[in-house]
Amino acid sequence: MESGIFHTTYRADMALRQTPAEKVRVVLAVLLVLCFPFFADRFYLTLANQIGIAVIGAIGLNLLVGYTGQISLGQGGFMAVGAYTAGLLTAQLGVPWYGSIPLACLATAVVGGFFGIPSLRLKGLYLVIATLAAQEIILWIVTHWDAVTGGVDALVVPDPTLFGIQMNTDFRFYWVIWGLAGLTILVTVNLFRTHIGRAWIAIRDQDIAAEVMGIGLFRYKLLAFATSSFFVGLAGALIAHYRNIVTWERFTVDVSVTYLAMIIIGGLGSVAGAIFGAVFITLLPVFLNDAGQALRGVIPNIDTILPFAEQAAFGIVIILFLVLEPRGLRRIWDRIKDYFRLWPFSY
Amino acid sequence: MISIRIKVTAPFCIFVFFSAVLLAMSGCRKGDSGSADGAIKIGALFDLTGPTSDVGAPYAAGLRDFVDWRNAKGGINGRKLALLSGDYGYKVDRAEQLYTQHIQQGVIAFQGWGTGDTEALRAKIRADKIPFMSASYSTNLLDMKEAPYNFLVGTSYSDQAIIAIRWAIDHWKASGKEGTPKVALLHHDSPFGQSPIADAKAFAGANGVAFTSLPMPRGATELVAELGRVKQFGGNYVLIQNVSSPVAVLLKDARRQGLHQSMTFICLNWCAGELLLELAGDATEGLFGAMPFTPPSVPVPGHQELAKWLEKQGSTLTEKGVHYVQGWWTQAVMVAGIERAVESGKTLSGESVRQALETMNNFDTQGVTTPITFSPTSHRGNDSMRLFQVKGGKWQQISDYIKAEP
Repeated sequence: MESGIFHTTYRADMALRQTPAEKVRVVLAVLLVLCFPFFADRFYLTLANQIGIAVIGAIGLNLLVGYTGQISLGQGGFMAVGAYTAGLLTAQLGVPWYGSIPLACLATAVVGGFFGIPSLRLKGLYLVIATLAAQEIILWIVTHWDAVTGGVDALVVPDPTLFGIQMNTDFRFYWVIWGLAGLTILVTVNLFRTHIGRAWIAIRDQDIAAEVMGIGLFRYKLLAFATSSFFVGLAGALIAHYRNIVTWERFTVDVSVTYLAMIIIGGLGSVAGAIFGAVFITLLPVFLNDAGQALRGVIPNIDTILPFAEQAAFGIVIILFLVLEPRGLRRIWDRIKDYFRLWPFSY
Repeated sequence: MISIRIKVTAPFCIFVFFSAVLLAMSGCRKGDSGSADGAIKIGALFDLTGPTSDVGAPYAAGLRDFVDWRNAKGGINGRKLALLSGDYGYKVDRAEQLYTQHIQQGVIAFQGWGTGDTEALRAKIRADKIPFMSASYSTNLLDMKEAPYNFLVGTSYSDQAIIAIRWAIDHWKASGKEGTPKVALLHHDSPFGQSPIADAKAFAGANGVAFTSLPMPRGATELVAELGRVKQFGGNYVLIQNVSSPVAVLLKDARRQGLHQSMTFICLNWCAGELLLELAGDATEGLFGAMPFTPPSVPVPGHQELAKWLEKQGSTLTEKGVHYVQGWWTQAVMVAGIERAVESGKTLSGESVRQALETMNNFDTQGVTTPITFSPTSHRGNDSMRLFQVKGGKWQQISDYIKAEP
């Protein structure tokens, strides 16, 4: 029975994974991601791909909201910047799709940094409104800048190909999405072991104290906006090439709200929480729908109430989660682990 | 310590949730496929809870009831039809999920709904070779290279606008006025709303009609400014490409300012319905409607089976309205295509249904629309329709069929 985790070397103290169990879990997780597409049908591949994109987007948002404490409702707009930049670069300028993705990320980072400027003066609810304005401004530009974006019409992006193979089938793009999702997880997990990540957390916890300690608020807040937008732009760019059509209707303000819901339910200020939330919010309506379909034979006339019952159930589940565990799914997961680690002699 | 552990758990979270997915997969999924003698499966996306649910719900009921009605009559050659449907709440992501789910379950044809999801699914539809009809009548979907599996049952938005302008020119002359009228198109600020602008503008220009178009801001609670701009332009006829609620606001504002005296309002498909009459009440009196589908207030033979079916369910066609008729007959056209594919003796698949639909020549909808014709080079079902007017709180027919291109 272990009584704690003890390190005898600095190297062990700095390790990302500290116990054998953690290492085993990582191996299992990687194996699962590698094996999954060979067993899944197209529907589950579509879900996995949507989850992968949501994971990247949610981690990006969590960098800003969960770690740095700057609440943002501009997520949908920033995703639109990523998607349209990637789409336009490929469709209009003939940049290969794999080249357009990093460029789209950088463009979104610049736009995100720009819209992050008000954060120096604004906090809390005021910042929410400022970022909501960013969302509306970006969508307005996207739908009205006819010469570049094609206005409200859908932007058709050529099929991404690699060595002559069409990449955007559910199976092939799975590797692109989850490869980049893996990279995103790796980068962000490590980011919070650096001085930048710690500076962000300091700003979140108490910005005045952080400034007194010598952290340049303006610089680090903008950096947080830009880094967050970089990943959000990545999610947008992946949508553009995966679906090879970009419509503004995919990036409306309810997308911003949905992503906020993901990180709040998953757990603010945690990479794992963002992943939990992305998976949960994507799968919940699917499960509710399936459950409803299964009940079809049991309850008469369920067809007429089913969609509304699903909506209500979605809301209730979210409220229950927040009431029972405000710190999100990540905290529930920690408690489950603690329970088994200390079982049967918990204190 | 805790914070370190959190970081480490990240990959394992994926594991847990994917296991859940895998478990669910083995538990919930049955071995579905489009088996030879089983039911013929048609997929459908409904908006029952989203922003367009007011018209989406009756349309969905029409799609569903036609299948039930057809099954009650014995299906196709003894094979039943099955409609696999889901509510997607006008969210593109959900539409993609439901689409692949139903494709996986072996559907051979698909009924969609909005412009956003139909556009987003266009490439997939092409790759899967699934005939797809939706309630979006955008001319983008007539591009045979980009959208070779999309079929338009309703008159396209462009044709609706052109027919309305054509009618306006005649109406202007008939009321003894000089020259040509000025036409304004007020539209929803979306691909759906903008769809008819280019063609309407070109047609107006070719006929010497002054034309302008204005977006109606989403969620506006008053549209006085937009009406002011139409007034400044000197618009005599105002075409409206929008859904019921904003149009109700527009019509009430127009009435309040007395603009209904000088301007003639013409609703295109998605606001010309019974719902608008409910929402805007008296303000709709005298309103014109360019309606591709005949509303229940003008009885035609094509309404009888629907009415009988609804009576059995304890409802009436008047209660369900024109969008129910629209859903029912859209499904009727799709099922007629499937029937032809079955009769042709080819293996039943999306491809054979498409080929069967392309042989459809003057398919009779019994007065609900002009006959529907598809060919391998064009999926534009028809190009003509009638105009209706609200008289005594009911839509009444006021014109004969007008063609977009004479």
